Amino acid sequence: MSSAHNPAWSERRSVVTGIGVVAPNGIGTDAFWKATKEGISVLDKVTREGCEQLPLKIAGEVRGFDPATVIEERFLVQTDRFTHFAMAAAGLALDDARLPELRDGGQGGGAVSPFAIGVVTAAGSGGGEFGQRELQRLWGQGSRYVGPYQSIAWFYAASTGQISIRGGFKGPCGVVASDEAGGLDALAHAARNIRRGTDAVVVGACEAPLAPYSVVCQLGYDDLSRSSDPDRAYLPFTSSACGFVPAEGGAMLVVEEESAARARGARVRARVAGHAATFTGAAEWQRSREGLSNAIRGALADAECAPQEIDVIFADALGMPLADRAEALAIGDALGAHARSVPVTAPKTGTGRAYCGAPVLDAAAAVLAMEHGVVPPTPGVLDVCHDLDLVTVCARPKELRTALVLSRGLMGSNSALVLRREESGSLW
Amino acid sequence: MTVQLTYIELATLMKSGAGVTVDPQLMATQPASTFAAYGLDSLGLLGIVGELENRFGRPLPPNAEQCKTPGDFLDLVNNNLTAGA
Repeated sequence: MSSAHNPAWSERRSVVTGIGVVAPNGIGTDAFWKATKEGISVLDKVTREGCEQLPLKIAGEVRGFDPATVIEERFLVQTDRFTHFAMAAAGLALDDARLPELRDGGQGGGAVSPFAIGVVTAAGSGGGEFGQRELQRLWGQGSRYVGPYQSIAWFYAASTGQISIRGGFKGPCGVVASDEAGGLDALAHAARNIRRGTDAVVVGACEAPLAPYSVVCQLGYDDLSRSSDPDRAYLPFTSSACGFVPAEGGAMLVVEEESAARARGARVRARVAGHAATFTGAAEWQRSREGLSNAIRGALADAECAPQEIDVIFADALGMPLADRAEALAIGDALGAHARSVPVTAPKTGTGRAYCGAPVLDAAAAVLAMEHGVVPPTPGVLDVCHDLDLVTVCARPKELRTALVLSRGLMGSNSALVLRREESGSLW
Repeated sequence: MTVQLTYIELATLMKSGAGVTVDPQLMATQPASTFAAYGLDSLGLLGIVGELENRFGRPLPPNAEQCKTPGDFLDLVNNNLTAGA
């Protein structure tokens, strides 16, 4: 804890000071934002070994990612690809935030106590690639050939644990397993930890659901797009909507208590202003209208934000007609007349949905959109058949002070997050 | 002739099983330095024990995975191999 800055519980506000992205359309914030702003789609044929004969044809793969260049060898061997992504993204976010060095064992050295920094991640499927390899050993050779690191590498909490170990972060750590919307719930959890006294939280989600075993697990979803045409596979809010395209990757953020961040001269990029989550059951897209609208209302109330203050919405954009209709109606239910004039976007049509990583990528894009004063477009989507002002084809310049990020999971979770632009405390 | 586990082989197992790179000559000259100091955790040692048991086709003593240092571990493994030969 920083003793010099100790605001009351209710005044401990959370701000974003670092962003790290490992996405199909770019590794690092600059590459990600350039592709997002330009509306470049990177959806393409699945090229992962072992996936050739599977009915999933199109995905958002993170290509050109060499984990050996960003994490130490023992993490390469002991963890799954989803943790490689998360550790890489966390490293980028920490570099971006320029957090001071940790005090070594409380014995001086750096400026920050290791107990002042926590880690929270969300995960939808854990380490499928690592798990597949060990399961193949189990059934191919026997239980004596399963390596002990299987016990931790597949686990939903693996990324939180390894980021904590690597960084030496000993503050409150957690993992949120609440479906795809858990990416937003993790940010809310981080904000709660900060309200309770933690100074900084490394928070977000990265997923790696494209190993053959993981893909097979997803084939039971009716909402998974079977299209083999990257230009037609993921077209939410259109009459051609035929499901969603899965993706890998995600984003990690550094979220800090505002006064401590400002006191150290950090670049305050946005405020985590409000959040709410609801649950309306699996395969019940019509009911998600009520769930999502209530999540939006709750997040607005939490942020003390009027509907007309929302300047841009990052939609969930599932890509099934019933789900898209429910989301469009939910936005109308919650925002009233403002719903017809607020720009809505879904950059994920250009990358696919990285499950829990998807809404964190949207949150990162929302912060960048507010900083640059531009709403990125929804790649590939043209003929919108809902009463929404969906931004298509090219980015739209607009001063943005408040962004609403929406997310739903296939199992019925709905979440809404309000982010506010903040003036920076330092000259950047 | 009895097969003996060497520091070179132990270093190879540490690298392949746990991603930990150690100079075998350093281990040989400092056999009392701990596995933990080299960056090998308990799961890593457990994996090495399993790999050796598969290779030798018989179990190592139950306390093999409790060894704290490369020196203790090689002594225990090699004594066991000698006794069982």
